[in-house]
Amino acid sequence: MILLLDTTPAIAGAALAVAATVLLGAWAGWVPQFRAWRLASWPGTGAWPSWAGFAALVFLLSVGRFGPHDPLGNLLPLTVWTVIWVAMTAAAALLGDIWRPIAPWRGPVRLARRLLRRRGGVGLSRLGHWPAVAGLFAIAWYELISPAPSDPAGLARMVALYWALIFALAVLEGEDWLDRGEALTLYFRLTAKIAPLWRRREGTRQVLHIGVPGAQIVAMAPLAAAEVAFVTLMLAIVSFDGLSETFFWLGQLGVNPLEYPGRTALMGVNSAGLLAAWALTTALILGALAASGHGAARGPVGGGRAPLLLGFLPIATAYHISHYLVTLLTRGQYVFTGLNDPFERGWSLLGINDHWASFGFLSDPRDVMLIWSAQVALIVAAHVLAVLLALRLVPGGLRTHLPVGLLMVGYTAFGLWLLATPSIG
Amino acid sequence: MTNNLGPFTTRRRVLGGLAATGATAGLATGLGTRFAQAQSSAPLKLGFQLHRTGIGAAYGRWYERTTKAALKAVNEAGGINGRPVEVIFEDDGTDAARGPQVLDKLINQEGCELVFGPLFSNVVMATAPRAAELKIPYLVCSETHSVAAGKLNRWTMQPGITDVKSQVRAVAPFIFDTLGKKVTMIYPDYAFGYDHRDFLTQAAKEAGAEIVKLLPIPVTETSFTRYFAQIPRSTEVIYHVMVGPGVLTFVKELGEFYGSNHPKLFGFIDSLEAVNIDTPSLSFLEGTHFWEGDCRYAQPDETEFDKAYRKAVGVNDQGAAINDPKEISTYAHMFSCWETLYVIKAGMEAADYKGPQDRQKFVEAVEAMSDMPASMQHPQGAKRFNGKTHQVFGHQNISQVKDGRLVRIERTSIDAGLYPDETDYTKMSF
Repeated sequence: MILLLDTTPAIAGAALAVAATVLLGAWAGWVPQFRAWRLASWPGTGAWPSWAGFAALVFLLSVGRFGPHDPLGNLLPLTVWTVIWVAMTAAAALLGDIWRPIAPWRGPVRLARRLLRRRGGVGLSRLGHWPAVAGLFAIAWYELISPAPSDPAGLARMVALYWALIFALAVLEGEDWLDRGEALTLYFRLTAKIAPLWRRREGTRQVLHIGVPGAQIVAMAPLAAAEVAFVTLMLAIVSFDGLSETFFWLGQLGVNPLEYPGRTALMGVNSAGLLAAWALTTALILGALAASGHGAARGPVGGGRAPLLLGFLPIATAYHISHYLVTLLTRGQYVFTGLNDPFERGWSLLGINDHWASFGFLSDPRDVMLIWSAQVALIVAAHVLAVLLALRLVPGGLRTHLPVGLLMVGYTAFGLWLLATPSIG
Repeated sequence: MTNNLGPFTTRRRVLGGLAATGATAGLATGLGTRFAQAQSSAPLKLGFQLHRTGIGAAYGRWYERTTKAALKAVNEAGGINGRPVEVIFEDDGTDAARGPQVLDKLINQEGCELVFGPLFSNVVMATAPRAAELKIPYLVCSETHSVAAGKLNRWTMQPGITDVKSQVRAVAPFIFDTLGKKVTMIYPDYAFGYDHRDFLTQAAKEAGAEIVKLLPIPVTETSFTRYFAQIPRSTEVIYHVMVGPGVLTFVKELGEFYGSNHPKLFGFIDSLEAVNIDTPSLSFLEGTHFWEGDCRYAQPDETEFDKAYRKAVGVNDQGAAINDPKEISTYAHMFSCWETLYVIKAGMEAADYKGPQDRQKFVEAVEAMSDMPASMQHPQGAKRFNGKTHQVFGHQNISQVKDGRLVRIERTSIDAGLYPDETDYTKMSF
């Protein structure tokens, strides 16, 4: 249905808007102050929310193992791929990091270390955020490329394995390692950096702040090398997920999209494609930073000074949300039918039935236009914010900001093209 | 939230009700009877290979609904051979490589008696050999001509929907006699399009009509106007079977190219299955003709069977979901799941099916079937099964778009879709 809309003007307009922001900002020197205010504070809550998360995990694993086989009827895949991966990303971009408190490790790790009388670590922290980079790649590979990411029993095994691995490592190294090495913890921490609301620990108290989106980013330390890799991977994941479903990509592979053989047949080539997309994204961004005379140009990436790169955080998050917006609107409905009858016992806990989920809006031109408009707005807003952040983080004229600006303009057009081009998704 | 469907009964609840009846009977008559009762009324498990995710998901959603509705009706009428029936749906991701895995899982882990339901021919072609290896009846709902062409095996049958060859042959006389004898074919440049090309070309030869131009369109094409320039002026009928996301653009650009003065158009509803045709961007289709398996819009002379079936699957008179009138069903095709389940019931009852040891007897019982009258078991209409080719034949509908609705103007006879046998599976060993 999106193909019937004339999307070219919107793509061109979006690219122009981003270009105009670059020019105005760099020439006129107008950049907003990213202000923030203290809103409230309360005593810390300890580890109990992570015990609640752990209980939810145990429940979801049992649903995955013993509940419906239907990937759209089982709460485990719905929670992992729709609630956590999509809805929580959107929520974190508005409300701050809501994952860290409920991540299902901290409480169990604290208890296990106390019981084992374990103190200190084994030196895992020396690896910095690299384990989280590996973790994000593994999660993305499982979702984008493995044959059946939503198969409840298979996913239950993978989630249990991932939980156990992270648990064991955190028991060895200490619970603070979770902030460095666990992929989702780093993912949500970075995603939440564009939120207008956030919490910060001050002593034993939690303090709630409110501010202009981006205010947290201005106050951030530049990213370490592994964080740079992490952010470029976040961008590559959504870009490649979109690209790999397009007729264009399948045409390049010599695969007939109308006779699509299924994911299994494309595992090898798509694995290579994801790696290539990551390499290309990294090269483009570091190249633009180098051409600006900042970031990578001031020393090896390992030196960890790339302030301009912080500007890409809003883009990664906005792409993620707009890319998965339709998933959220469709599979999101199945979350409710799943909650209604988690074990397929004929229950009606929410008083709805199996036919409650409906997708008619996808064939209504007005609704499709609304979705497309929201996607355009999100992506343009993110790029404008990114440009403004870049201008704030690195003072300089057009010469400094042109390379990254050009990249932003190109990426805006590419991102919107991905949403508008024929695809099998 | 409520909707007009009323409380939906899940398969487990259907089973629960029946089991409770058995338990009460057992309590009343003592332990021995209860054991016998439990044994004879153990649920019969049938596996459904479902395109729940992947590119077949839009169909899979409705195939599942239709099958659940048929299952409910079967169980309410006493099940199969007096045993309650359970259908285990297993997602294959519309992934050819997962097809055989799903069959294995349904049979070996879930204990299903047979497997049915797949639509996409890549899944069918990949799974059928495994069904033969395991000696499992495999009943497909795919329209593929591969079954009748002898490319599959003794265990694979298509008793619920006609194949493309039969559909094309049945509608060809209408195209040539009523619309025109000089035809340009526009079709996607791959196997699906080639089937249409070959079957219509053959029918044209037999009817003394002429295919004046073949226009295969690359499958990744998004703009079509430059192909329209190649349509000969002598063309009286354009036969189009475009599928995929480009089809709406195709129709829009065809309309822009021709305006109001255009050749007659005949298409297959496969192009616009699950798409609302009553939208301004598709107004060019007004007055054009389509093949439909089952008529999306309730016709004035709709049979009581189709009326009851329509209600049971939760579809309104416009072919849309009752609880979401914007969501158009895959009405032209999905009856195949309903009818296949009833063929399974008839076959199992004819074979006095008790368990896996009777799988061969079941296949033989289906092979022995021939005429199936229009009924609640066959709401799309009467069918005739050919045991030798494992393919069913039936009536086809030709509809015209009038005021944005599909109105049936002709219903072909079963005979119109027949063609000489191309294989005899009954001579193959099991």
